Amino acid sequence: MRWKSKPPCSQKSQEPTSLSLCLRLFHRYRDLAPQLVPLDYTDKPAVTLPYELIGSMPELKDNPFRQRIAEVFSEHGDGNMTLDDFLDMFSVLSEMAPRDLKAYYAFKIYDFNNDDYICKSDLEKTVNKLTRNELTPEEISLVCEKVIYEADVDNDGKLSLADFQHMIVRAPDFLSTFHIRI
Amino acid sequence: MAAAPASPALRAAKSCKKQRTVKRQTGVYTYQEPPHSNSEDDAGEEKAESHDPEQIFQNIQYQKEIMSNIRCRPWPMRQKLRALRQAKEIVLKYEGRLTRTRGYQAAGAELWKKFLRLAYNFVVIFIPWEMRIKKIESHFGSGVASYFIFLRWLFGINIVLTIMTGAFVVLPELLAGAPFGSTLSKTIPKEHIASAQDLDTIWSLGGYLQYSVLFYGYYGRDRKIGKAGYRLPLAYFLVGMAVFAYSFIILLKKMAKNSRMSLASASDENYTFCWRLFCAWDYLIGNPEAAESKAAAIVNSIREAILEEQEKKKSKNLAVTISLRIIANILVLLSLAGSIYIIYFVVDRSQRLERTKKELTLWEKNEVSVVVSLITMIAPSAFELVAALEMYHPRTTLRFQLARVLVLYLGNLYSLIIALLDKVDSMSVTNSVCEDSDVNNDASNSTTSLATNTLSKDDNLTLPNVQIQRNGFVMSEEHRTQGLTDSLVNQTISFNTQNPQDQCWETYVGQEMLKLSIIDMIFTVASILLIDFFRGLCVRYLSDCWCWDLESKFPEYGEFKIAENVLHLVYNQGMIWMGAFFSPCLPAFNVLKLIGLMYLRSWAVLTCNVPHQQVFRASRSNNFYLAMLLFMLFLCMLPTIFAIARYKPSLSCDFIAPSYNKLTMFHNTQIPDKLRTSEVTHITPFTSSMLIYYLQSIARSLKFTNNQLRMKIQTERTEDKKKVVQMAVGKDLESSYNNFCFLARIQNLDANDKRPEQETDIISQESSVRSSTPRKNGSVLNFESPVSKGTRIQTISQSVPQAVPATDVVRPANATPTTSTSLTPAPSVSSVQKPRNDHITNRYPSVVHRSASELCKTKPYTPVTFKKHTEDVHSDPLFRKAIRQVNSDALGAGAPVFLGCRPYATRYFLVNENESRKKSLRSTSRLQRHFRKEEPGDIIELYPRHIRRYVVRTPHQMYSPHPSEDEEDEEELEKEFMNRSHRPRSLSDLRPASRFYIGDRADGHILMSKDLARVHYKSWDDGFELDLDRPPYAYKKVHLNYPEPRVKPKSKQKLEQSLTESDSISIESSSDPQNSSNDQYIQVIHTKDKYPKTGAKLTKKKSKNSIDLSMPEPSELVCSNV
Repeated sequence: MRWKSKPPCSQKSQEPTSLSLCLRLFHRYRDLAPQLVPLDYTDKPAVTLPYELIGSMPELKDNPFRQRIAEVFSEHGDGNMTLDDFLDMFSVLSEMAPRDLKAYYAFKIYDFNNDDYICKSDLEKTVNKLTRNELTPEEISLVCEKVIYEADVDNDGKLSLADFQHMIVRAPDFLSTFHIRI
Repeated sequence: MAAAPASPALRAAKSCKKQRTVKRQTGVYTYQEPPHSNSEDDAGEEKAESHDPEQIFQNIQYQKEIMSNIRCRPWPMRQKLRALRQAKEIVLKYEGRLTRTRGYQAAGAELWKKFLRLAYNFVVIFIPWEMRIKKIESHFGSGVASYFIFLRWLFGINIVLTIMTGAFVVLPELLAGAPFGSTLSKTIPKEHIASAQDLDTIWSLGGYLQYSVLFYGYYGRDRKIGKAGYRLPLAYFLVGMAVFAYSFIILLKKMAKNSRMSLASASDENYTFCWRLFCAWDYLIGNPEAAESKAAAIVNSIREAILEEQEKKKSKNLAVTISLRIIANILVLLSLAGSIYIIYFVVDRSQRLERTKKELTLWEKNEVSVVVSLITMIAPSAFELVAALEMYHPRTTLRFQLARVLVLYLGNLYSLIIALLDKVDSMSVTNSVCEDSDVNNDASNSTTSLATNTLSKDDNLTLPNVQIQRNGFVMSEEHRTQGLTDSLVNQTISFNTQNPQDQCWETYVGQEMLKLSIIDMIFTVASILLIDFFRGLCVRYLSDCWCWDLESKFPEYGEFKIAENVLHLVYNQGMIWMGAFFSPCLPAFNVLKLIGLMYLRSWAVLTCNVPHQQVFRASRSNNFYLAMLLFMLFLCMLPTIFAIARYKPSLSCDFIAPSYNKLTMFHNTQIPDKLRTSEVTHITPFTSSMLIYYLQSIARSLKFTNNQLRMKIQTERTEDKKKVVQMAVGKDLESSYNNFCFLARIQNLDANDKRPEQETDIISQESSVRSSTPRKNGSVLNFESPVSKGTRIQTISQSVPQAVPATDVVRPANATPTTSTSLTPAPSVSSVQKPRNDHITNRYPSVVHRSASELCKTKPYTPVTFKKHTEDVHSDPLFRKAIRQVNSDALGAGAPVFLGCRPYATRYFLVNENESRKKSLRSTSRLQRHFRKEEPGDIIELYPRHIRRYVVRTPHQMYSPHPSEDEEDEEELEKEFMNRSHRPRSLSDLRPASRFYIGDRADGHILMSKDLARVHYKSWDDGFELDLDRPPYAYKKVHLNYPEPRVKPKSKQKLEQSLTESDSISIESSSDPQNSSNDQYIQVIHTKDKYPKTGAKLTKKKSKNSIDLSMPEPSELVCSNV
């Protein structure tokens, strides 16, 4: 494989670590479907891996939000990812990504209906995914109410990105938990 | 361009400021920028025109900033790449224009950064078990990993301790000390040589091991060893103290750092549910079992939170729980007392056995250690059972559990050490007796008094058996009993003197601690294998043929109990600290032990453990571990120092004592009273210095957190302010002022050309720049064209400020929601760009008028300023304007408005006009109708909101619909002429109108209408930055808008493309009528200059009244002008 062959890597090569990470990610990407992904990326082939392959990665397969993650980072929102999307995803989820960026994407991940607000239905989905439907509906609605009550700064009954960031930035565990090692 | 020479410097300065602010805000609001990679292109083009090195530098800096934090932007990778490539190109292209040194500096910095990264990567390779820990972390989450990180940290400490003792004590002794067998303390007594190599003896650390560097007793008594005269005793003593000091310091340092981190990050507890929900999932988890248990843990924590929430509301029936808790605590206390008693009993029994029996079985020899280890293993589970009684909150249960286990461990260690010290007592008594003449009665008395309990028991039993049994490790307990009666003592002395090291209590303590450590290790391994591994095996392979599900019911898989394991580490380290002084090799042994533990544990965790359900979060628990460790260190240091200071060094193997005397470091054996005082005086400075360091580090961390909190308060305040401003703006929007952001959103939404009417209204009212978007909706060409023109004009003029406003204009066009800022920047752009549009609008009233009106709104300020500031200089531009205005005027309504706008763009306009005059009619006609129908109502609504410009605009808008109709109908044309007349007036008025608006505001808010107006004008000229600050909405909007400029360049490009078309359109309509009206307009302009002073008040009143008033006003003005 030629080093030049991967445009994204060469572009981001200013940071050596990201280059090595890039290479590793490329191999991981390729390992998902060696028959589909060419080794040579010089001519930028339009290869897209389906969500089924992405979601079956060991790093993601146990994540209750894997589908959302894939959707958020895929270009067309369908969970199918190109190499660029793939790199994108793991660069955001890497340890090096800044907190604001992580918060932004975390918001998008939890915003299930893509309306730029985390509303009650989004929260219910989040709770259900997190707890694997073990909570009763009353508990869920209570949790959703409390969450909105706690974090909704502007009192519009739903969490905007600003609300979310305001809340998440203060969380001590957010940075340590919102990353995937690959 | 008369204006050009005067303003560039100012503009440049302003532009720089703007760029800086943009940078700042981009840093903060990176995610708010919609990803438009083209922005860099535009920026580059703009800069390309400018030759000011400062600008180039700014641009390069800006591009570099883009490159440096490209990864902080929430753009898709493709856009990032494009942006990065463009930024690099630009930097490459223009960097050469500046001095090379800057480039070299930057390159050097980058190289250095690379090197640092490489070095860091290189260093990471040598961090032990990094990959292993990461792997565990990815399987079990950060909680379990924290145990291993803690283990590794302890490993590091032990390495240092080992190096210290090894380098300063063990190695010198081995290299330069007297060889084995050369002195009495280094030779195995004859009776024991036969059994010295027995496994039994070795196991009990007797024989050769006892007479080795492992233990205190081996070290020689020579004050100096070797040719260089190395003072081994001194070194030994100092190293012993340094071990404690180092541990203390490193521990406190770590704690202070941790507390700094934790205090800094964790303060608000207001987000319990949010955090439990959004931060609950550990994205590192990558195995199904861990995921399952994590989900269970999340359910637990959420239920927990719900429970807490409910408990806040209702008070429980406490009687039962309280009684249960009392019972549980009694049980725990009983078990603690029982374990302590058992240990003491066992130690006592072993001593008795040694005295009574000649041959001890293996069990009898290891009884103490085994019992202690068993208790440490069993009691925690018992506590856990008891804790179930208490029905505490899980978290408090965990805390209680940890506290109890810690107490248990400490109790064990202490009872053991006390029992040992009892033995030591007896030994020292015998020693002191041996020393005969100078025996210090005080010391012996006191020690014997301490030991009386055991001794009294032993008296009867042991007295008859005076025989001395010297098993390797339990040697001289007999002495104790002998201490009671001098006669017996004398007998034993004869025996004792035969092998000096047996009397050496330091060696004995060292042996015991080492033995304890070894047994502990064995039990740990055994428990890992039994409780985790074999259980896991059974569960895995027997569950198929068992009557219930082994995996989910009773035995299950072993959990990795972080808390207990961490406590075990703490306990283990405590043993090391306790014994390190007496057995210099203990740290080295511990290093090996920790290595083994690390591998074994990590293996066990990965193969047969599931994570604990109560997740003990790493971020919060770290300092808890350390606090326990510190506590342990304190408590372990005390008995050691006590023993060192309290008991006389054993006679036979005391090699430090001589140096004590010389150094006056320790007691003077001859004067017992002084001895004690000197102990105190020597120990207190040490401990107090420790204390001082501890307090200092805590104070430092507190200071740090103090600062953090202060910062937080500040940011909170600013945030509050922002909110207040937002609220205020929102209210204003609702009540009187339009919410620009809101409108902008609407526009953006509608920008798709589906609702041209509403959009046009809104846009016209809101801002000239935005008005362009509605035009786009109506006729794409027109909309684009103005912007493109603006860019061209700007580039020609070369001044940076122009470029910035252009970007601003572009933003609104792109339908960015926050257009409030656009209002301010728009004027410049509009002034430059829009004249063409105005021409167009004049001819095609509907679309053009809107744009024109907007332009006029924005522009009126600028012309005024020109007049004021540079009336002489601008006289030329005015003429030009007049000419152009004439063109516009010829069209009728729209022309006059443009007059004001033209001065900037006059030259270009002419050219453009000539080029394009034939295309615009179609688009304008369509739009015009829409405007007519819908606009009036909208305008009326909007008026109150946008007091400033709306008043001005509304008339224009009003005109615009009319003129379109005029073109269609002759009658209407007449009316339109009237309207047109209004327009020019309005244009002329616009300048005054702008003042009026200001004045209006002045009425409401500020009184200084004239001054403000002037300021505004100036600001407009300079780059329109000042205006931004003034309007209430400006604050937020400014932030929002600034990041956008980069994004907007796309729109610019589009605009440029369309420009030609729009230009042509405008040109057609405007030519003749404009020319005719030039003179009048010129006059008007002059009059306008005067207006602000005289007419400001009038205009204010009029503007207040409503749109209707504004309409008549312009007409009047027009009349006067004409």
